[in-house]
Amino acid sequence: MTIKYESQKIAQNFYTFAVLLFLVQVVVGIIAALQFMWPDFFILNFNIIRSLHINAMVVWLLVGMMGATYYVVSEESDTELWSVPMANFQFWATVLTVTLVVLGYIWMGINPQANSTTLFSTGILNEGREYIEAPRWADILIVVSVLLFLFNNFMTVLKTKKWTGIQGTLLGGLTVLALMYLPGMFYTKNMVKDQFWWWWVVHLWVEGAWEIIAGALLAFMLMKTTGVKREVVEKWMYVEVGLVMFTGILGTGHHYYWIGTPSYWLWVGGIFSSLEPVPLLVMVWDAFRTTRETRVVTNKAGLYYTVAHAIFNFVGAGLWGVIHTLPQVNKWTHGTQITTAHGHLAFYGAYVLLVLAMIYITLPAIRGVKEFNASRAFQSFWWMTISMIFIVLTITGAGMVQTYMERLMGLDYVAVKANYNLWFWILRAIFGVGFLYGVVIFVIDYFKLGKEPAPIAAPAPEKA
Amino acid sequence: MSNKAARNLFIYGSLFFFAIFIVLTIDTMGKLDKRAPAITEEVNAGKMVWHKYDCIGCHTILGNGSYFAPDMTKIAEKKPKDYLKQFLMDPKSVNPKASMPKLGISSQEADNLIAFLDWISKVDTNGWPPKPILATAAGIAGKELSAGQKVYQTQNCSNCHMINGIGGTTGPELTHVGSKRDKAWLIGHFKDPKAYVPNSAMPAYGYLSEEELNNLTDYMVSLK
Repeated sequence: MTIKYESQKIAQNFYTFAVLLFLVQVVVGIIAALQFMWPDFFILNFNIIRSLHINAMVVWLLVGMMGATYYVVSEESDTELWSVPMANFQFWATVLTVTLVVLGYIWMGINPQANSTTLFSTGILNEGREYIEAPRWADILIVVSVLLFLFNNFMTVLKTKKWTGIQGTLLGGLTVLALMYLPGMFYTKNMVKDQFWWWWVVHLWVEGAWEIIAGALLAFMLMKTTGVKREVVEKWMYVEVGLVMFTGILGTGHHYYWIGTPSYWLWVGGIFSSLEPVPLLVMVWDAFRTTRETRVVTNKAGLYYTVAHAIFNFVGAGLWGVIHTLPQVNKWTHGTQITTAHGHLAFYGAYVLLVLAMIYITLPAIRGVKEFNASRAFQSFWWMTISMIFIVLTITGAGMVQTYMERLMGLDYVAVKANYNLWFWILRAIFGVGFLYGVVIFVIDYFKLGKEPAPIAAPAPEKA
Repeated sequence: MSNKAARNLFIYGSLFFFAIFIVLTIDTMGKLDKRAPAITEEVNAGKMVWHKYDCIGCHTILGNGSYFAPDMTKIAEKKPKDYLKQFLMDPKSVNPKASMPKLGISSQEADNLIAFLDWISKVDTNGWPPKPILATAAGIAGKELSAGQKVYQTQNCSNCHMINGIGGTTGPELTHVGSKRDKAWLIGHFKDPKAYVPNSAMPAYGYLSEEELNNLTDYMVSLK
């Protein structure tokens, strides 16, 4: 694959920032894992470290998707981006905002009193709500950045009016993403309302808009790596994202069981959220059916990541989620490590692998190479994936012990965490280092891709 | 099914389910006030303290948050308010083994935060968290409790203290307290904890009858 339009190269800025933040996320994650065993060992408390870990994650995934979008829209619309200067400005504005927010968190970590709540009724450095800790002024800057991003891409499509299913769904998903950031941007005195609207952002993001984006990009990636016909891949894309919405919108109710909202949500949320894995299973079937019919694959690494994304999206988001979505189970597991286990595998499968796959599929074209040595790509893939599987297994084990001993038996929270679950924390930190090793290989690969001599001979066509 | 039909099903189907979601949301918003106590200025001030110090960055509340420190939904029911205030302002002075850092929470902030936690404990959460199946008893199953053990149970001592692995880590463990303290010390301490342990946040139990205090102390002394 080669790029048709120079402006597609703007994706690279976004990818680079994303890759660096990914590295930061994982380093900080290891600090957090160590704090489970030694809470006082670092200069910043766990809550600041955790904020850095999850904010770095959300930002790098978003920025990665932005890069991928700039690339895809230009190609699908058959034209240069409407405004490269605007894209550059949007990029640097995002980098600046994120840097300021991070510095703000660190400052608040060192001096909690600096987080004054006189402006906006919320903290000037940290809003004190998980995932959306970014203060209101940063929220506004993020909204501006996303609006510029959407505007630029929509104007690009309007240049040629070439609406394809893929880019229509992609931009539609991104628009819903942008709209769903807004419910987190007001203060309410009622903590129940606070959490209700918070879940509009988080659930309708990761179990809504983001899965639509994933569905659209999966179709794009399958098309590019296997040569499958657009009509086929787009039809199944519509089926998948349709099922995501039909199950996921009312599936939001599985966050409304125990937070002070009426009990009918146990029925609505329980039934619809149990069906949420179905579209993800269709995506797995779609990926395998498509790749089975392929004869020649130039970008093996790209295809690997694409199929892996479909599999782990289903296993992490789908299976690990559905095991504790029923109210009868969730009553005991709500707020335990079971949730964290699900979160880690879900994000890795649904979104980390998605952005990495898009990078491996689009970066060679941006760097001007048709083939590249994929050995580092495969190495990092296995180090990361196997480490993450084991990380998730340790957290799941810890969650089962916690559910049994703390929730069912009534033992003390601190005692269970510090004594019975200690070995899970030790193993998790070890596997975290394994994951970091994989990330480091990937970062090296990212910067070196396309800049080394090409492989000696092209492999013979695959006999499938 | 043609692509266009699939696309239309996706778009209109999504709007249909979103409309139902909006209706349920409006209904829920209308019912929230009845499911919790009134929100006073103090409660709101306490919520702002919760956000200022980013408590949810370590704790969970209503089960949501970071799974690093205990859930705060029922804490105002389980621990005495004086203990909470002292702990919030300087955790390690009350419990040297506490992992919670000293954040510089002021006396006023602590009062407000406790009012907020009290409000949270009274929200109708559809029965969450469920009562543990095995009660946090003093670790003696199937036998008739002694008089002292009964006092220990009725006073909910295991909310803060641990005996034989069961109970809280808020206060010191009592499994071998009989080897450390004698009867005189224990009775004096029950009547006025602060006189015996500086910075103690334990409530005073002088209101118990002489008989109850004696029985409880006999039980403590038996834990060698």
